Amino acid sequence: MFNISRDFAPPIKIIEPFFIIGSIFYALGVLFLLFLDPSSGHVDLVTVGWAHWFLLGFVMMIIFGAMAQLIPVVVEVGHFSVDLYYIIWPSLLIGTLTMVVGFWWMPYVLAYGGLLVLVAMVTFLFETFLTLKKAERITLTVKSVLWANIFLTVAIVIGFLMALAIGEGVVLDVSKWLGAHAVLVLGGFVTLTIMGLSLILLPMFGLSHGFDEMPITRAYQLMVGAVIAYVAGTVIDWSWVRWIALVVAFVSVSFYGYQIWIIYQTRARKAHDIYARTMYVGYGSLAVALVLGIVTLFVSSEQVILSAAWFLILGFFSYLINGHLYKIVPFLVWFERYSPLVGKQKVPMLNEMLPERKAEWQFWFTSTGLVVGGIGLLFGSSSLFHGGVTLMVVGAGFMLSSVLSMLSYGKELNISRTENNV
Amino acid sequence: MCNITKEQVLDSISTVIDPEVGFNMVELGLIYGVEIDDDCNAKVTMTLSTRACPLHQMLEQWVREAAERTEGINTATIEIVWEPAWNVTMAADNVKQALGAM
Repeated sequence: MFNISRDFAPPIKIIEPFFIIGSIFYALGVLFLLFLDPSSGHVDLVTVGWAHWFLLGFVMMIIFGAMAQLIPVVVEVGHFSVDLYYIIWPSLLIGTLTMVVGFWWMPYVLAYGGLLVLVAMVTFLFETFLTLKKAERITLTVKSVLWANIFLTVAIVIGFLMALAIGEGVVLDVSKWLGAHAVLVLGGFVTLTIMGLSLILLPMFGLSHGFDEMPITRAYQLMVGAVIAYVAGTVIDWSWVRWIALVVAFVSVSFYGYQIWIIYQTRARKAHDIYARTMYVGYGSLAVALVLGIVTLFVSSEQVILSAAWFLILGFFSYLINGHLYKIVPFLVWFERYSPLVGKQKVPMLNEMLPERKAEWQFWFTSTGLVVGGIGLLFGSSSLFHGGVTLMVVGAGFMLSSVLSMLSYGKELNISRTENNV
Repeated sequence: MCNITKEQVLDSISTVIDPEVGFNMVELGLIYGVEIDDDCNAKVTMTLSTRACPLHQMLEQWVREAAERTEGINTATIEIVWEPAWNVTMAADNVKQALGAM
C-alpha cells in the first residue's frame, strides 16, 4: 500500500508528451534553420513561421509541461486540476503546426491555428490562475508567475488578432503590434517565468542559501514596468516610450544576471556537471544577447537584431530549458518508477539516470554550433551560419535521444501509480 | 521507561537518502532532533534543504517509516520546521567535502 499524497508531482504520462513533442520540435526547428536565408529580415514570414515553430512547439511546449510539475513546487500547493494538461498539448501541437503552415504556405489557415493555440493557452492560464489562487505564501516567484501569465493573456489576444489580420483581412496594423506581441511573449512571459522559477530552481540544485534577493526583486519590478510601458507606448504610438521601455528591460535583465551571479557565488554544490555547464552557456548567451540588444538601441542593423535574437532564443532560452530537462525528466521518471521501491530495494540516484555520453556530445556540438552560427549571423556570413547550424542539428539529435533515454529509464519495472493505490 | 536511544533512531533514519544529492538525511544535517517518550514513541524534528522540495511529502513519510523500523519504537511523528533554515554548514564534513563546500 502506497498511500502518500502526490499533490506536488503529477503522473509522468501527463507530462511525457510535452517533453517528447517539445524535443522533436527543437530538433526539427534547428534542422529548418539550414533552409533559412540569414539575410532575410526578422519580419519575413518565413522567419516568423520558424519563430512560431520554435517558440510555440519547443519553448512553450516544454515550459507548459515543466509547469505541470513546477507550479505546485514553487507555490507549495497542489494543482487546481492537472488533468486539464491533457487538453493543452494536443491543442498546442495542432495549432502550432497549422500556424506554421499558414505562415509558410497558406495564410488563410493562420486564424484556425491561432484559435487552437488560443485554446491551449487559455486552458493553461485558467488552470494556472486557479492554482495560484490557492497559494498561501505570496512569494516573489508567485508574483512573477502571476504577471507572466497576465502578459501571456494579452500576448495571445494580440497574436490572435494579428493572425486574423494576416489570414482573414481584419484591419490591424500588424507591423505596429508585432513588437508589442514579441515583448509580451519574450520579456513578459518567458523571461519573467524564467526569473521566477530560477529563484527557486538554481538555489535548490546548487544548495545556495542566505543570499541577497534585492537584485531579482528589482529585475522583476523593472521587467513588469518595461512590458507595461512598451504596450502603452504601442497603444498611444509613442516610439520614445517604447525605446525607454526597452532600456528598462535591459536594465532588468542586468539585475537578473547580477542575481544569478550572487546565487552561484553562494552555492554549496560546486559540481560542474552537465546541468551546471549548460546553465553557464545559457547565462553567457544572455549576456551576449544583452550587449547586442543594447547595440540595437543605437544602431539600426538587421544582422545585430538577428544575432541578438539568436543568442537569446537558441542560447539563453534553449539552454535553460534543455539544462533543466536533465534535472526534471530524471526526477519525474524516478518519482514514478522508483519512489515506491524506496526502503524495499536499491534505487538509483538521479544522476545515474543521465545518459552521460549523449549529454556530453549534445553539449559540445550545440555549444560550438551556437557560437559559430551566432558569429555567422552577426557578420552576415551564410557559410558560417549554416556551418554552425549543422553542428547544432547534430547536437539536437543527441538532445532528443537523451530525452528519450531518460524517459525510458527503468520502464521495464512497469510500476504505475494505479498499481500502488495512489 | 523506554530504553531506546536517540542514536538508534538516527541510525534507522540514516537509511533515507535524498536521491538528488545522494546523501542520507542525517549526514545532510536535516534531522534537527529526536525525542523518545516513556512509551517508546518517537518525535522527529526535521527540515528540508528548500521549502519547494518536490519530495517534501515523500521524505516526511520515509523518515517516519524509517524511525518506526527502529526495534522497539511504537510510533513516530514528524514535525517539519523551517527555523533555523538549513544551510550546508549543518551537514557532516564528508558531505561538505563531496559537494566542494570545504
